Amino acid sequence: MAPYYSPTAILTDAQKAPTTFSLAVPALSHSPLNNNSGTPITPATTLDLPLWLAEMLAVSRPSGPASAPLATLDMPSALGPKVMNALTADSTSVELRQQAQWFYGLGERMLELFEDEEMGAVLLNTFKKRALEIADKAQNTRTAQQGGDSGDFMSGLDETERQLFRAAHDGTHTVKRWFEATSRG
Amino acid sequence: MALPLPPGLTPSEVGFLCEMEHVTVIPRQTLDGLELLGGPTGALKPPFPTPLPLWLALLLKKQRRANITPPPWLSVDALTQILDFETDERTAELFSPSPNLPPATTTAPLEGDPYLAHDSLELSAPFLKDAATARAQADALPYHWLEIGHLLITHAPDDFEDLDAVRKLLRDLREVRMSKLRKGFEVLDAGGGVKMNGVGGMEIAEVRGFVGGVVDGLRKLNRSREESRKERETEERENGFGSSSYRDDEDEDML
Repeated sequence: MAPYYSPTAILTDAQKAPTTFSLAVPALSHSPLNNNSGTPITPATTLDLPLWLAEMLAVSRPSGPASAPLATLDMPSALGPKVMNALTADSTSVELRQQAQWFYGLGERMLELFEDEEMGAVLLNTFKKRALEIADKAQNTRTAQQGGDSGDFMSGLDETERQLFRAAHDGTHTVKRWFEATSRG
Repeated sequence: MALPLPPGLTPSEVGFLCEMEHVTVIPRQTLDGLELLGGPTGALKPPFPTPLPLWLALLLKKQRRANITPPPWLSVDALTQILDFETDERTAELFSPSPNLPPATTTAPLEGDPYLAHDSLELSAPFLKDAATARAQADALPYHWLEIGHLLITHAPDDFEDLDAVRKLLRDLREVRMSKLRKGFEVLDAGGGVKMNGVGGMEIAEVRGFVGGVVDGLRKLNRSREESRKERETEERENGFGSSSYRDDEDEDML
């Protein structure tokens, strides 16, 4: 399970995945999960539930004669075939932030539940290629801060990539500041 | 509340620690030996050169009580030679080598490798003895070359023969090595590595945050694949013994 106190893990798990119920759950018809509509939740209703809830429902098997899980979990659209194809074609031009704010975290959780070798390979490649781009952008800090045409790439980074960019930028920046500080003293 | 300190040393910390290195100082006034925490310093009797820690040398220099001798590798000839090595296309994958390690002083269980023995106290960079004194090796850049070079140029400019050339060479060296490091990013992988023999402290501090983040991200994405591969391997190992593994027989005997 993800670490309990990590805000990263909490926000990652709060992302939604489509879940199809295999039982009727009338008591939850008016809950925020159902967008507060009154439509009853019958078997084969698909809702977007947060990962922590969806995983528990999909994994648990109630004891009894019918030992099917309470719900089945599908791949969220952020990791669907259209996005995978776009990533294989050109990883750096896809706006990951629009798909999911914690894209790689979502991918990691889905890889835990489904063993999808191909998706794992695509995600790894995407990460590597985009990390190279981030390293490039972090060096030319002036143009990156002014926006320009690198603005599209920067706004499309998900949270983990933003932290990577900050780490790369901080490294160069701290070294420069140390040089300046010692030149003065 | 968690303090978000980055793991490992930051560049300012590396810059501070480099002042522990010894440099050769030519005193202008006498001074008794000092009992410092790191060990006693020799007495200063002009005009005999004496090794002192860099922070003390810089202090005395500011008070005009001493001059600092630049180490042999911080001269125009030595730096030019090292720069030629770095820019040579045959060594595009390597960095210029670090100074030779001193001969081992203890014997070791492992043949020929006293640095790996648990009870030996062999020093390696950044604790080599003569990294920046007048006896330093002239064709190798020690671990703190960038920091020491910068500090000496800034605070002891009159002790250099050709200050501008040295400054320019240091800057060129730094650019060449950083670009080599950045090219090494491309081979970062969940289980991969980059050959970084000879990289200095400040250079590592600059890329530590980024490289650490990338490798960590790759590790997390690869985690499910690693776990399934490990499960497969343990299964194969157990199935290799077959059902006649002696551990099973022992349990049945106990019953």
